[in-house]
Amino acid sequence: MNKNTFSCAKCLLVVILLILAGILGFVYSGWYPIGADNKHHALTYWALETLRERSIARASADISVPGDLDSPERLLAGGPDYHEMCSGCHLQPAKAQSDFTLGLYPAPPNLTEAKSGQISTTENQRTFWIIKHGIKASGMPSWAPGHDDERIWSMVAFINRLPELSASEYQILTSRTDDNGHAH
Amino acid sequence: MKTLQQLLFVAGLAGLSLTVQAHDPKEHMKDSEKPNCEAMKDMDHEKMDMNNPVHQAMMKKCMAQMHDMGEMKGMEGQDHSQHKDAAKEKSEHQH
Ligand code: HEC
Ligand SMILES: [Cu+2]
Repeated sequence: MNKNTFSCAKCLLVVILLILAGILGFVYSGWYPIGADNKHHALTYWALETLRERSIARASADISVPGDLDSPERLLAGGPDYHEMCSGCHLQPAKAQSDFTLGLYPAPPNLTEAKSGQISTTENQRTFWIIKHGIKASGMPSWAPGHDDERIWSMVAFINRLPELSASEYQILTSRTDDNGHAH
Repeated sequence: MKTLQQLLFVAGLAGLSLTVQAHDPKEHMKDSEKPNCEAMKDMDHEKMDMNNPVHQAMMKKCMAQMHDMGEMKGMEGQDHSQHKDAAKEKSEHQH
């Protein structure tokens, strides 16, 4: 090892230490604006979104999708659960906004908006995974506690149909009658 | 003594897991309403596809109320056997 490479390694170490000290200083300084009303920089947003999508795609790739997502039983089981637990954030037909959609950041997507084309296996795996595990540091909770996979799949089935529902169809599908308290 | 302790511990765990596990809809923030099946009267049943799961699900849900509701638009000449099947399935389904 000659003298030149040695001093270079040394200065690299100093630079790394300075960066670490800078990061630590920033964390402790309180300068980061943590408020939900302070939007991310476009680059930060891209990085977070890519991180989220890559992570979900990898984690959900092996989930097997039930074959009966198109059955009326699924819709009737998923509808009331969606209405009671999710519609506050993800809306319902004839409701364009709520306190949650206005104030949360990242904002909960409006799940009544139509998606283009057929729903793919990948999409079903993704939706199921998100409902089951939630998304860190966003308003999206994990619903695994208290809700088994079957119940989550029924919500996936319901969400797939949600964009095509009228307000009165939604009302009927999400209602509960005494014989359908389906606590599984 | 030790086995008693272990037994109590396991029993405690079982009790705990029971309370965490089943999530009763009653605990939800929002309560679902009763179905407004009257609204089905105003839907055009001729345009509805009996193979559409949304339509089938609504039929199932409103089955009990349907026959008291009288005739519905476009339903007169239709085959009602499918609905009857749905009703039968439903009553058998009660656990
Ligand atoms: C407190 C608000 C809140 C509630 C309640 C909530 N979510 Fe979410 N949800 C979010 C937010 C915020 C996101 C977006 C997270 C992000 O962009 O990183 C999200 C994302 C999602 C997505 C991904 C949508 C997409 O296409 O990217 C699905 C699916 C979803 N939620 C389903 C549900 C279901 C089903 C329920 C009810 C069991 C539910 N959510 C309840 C806030 C909520
Ligand atoms: Cu619940």
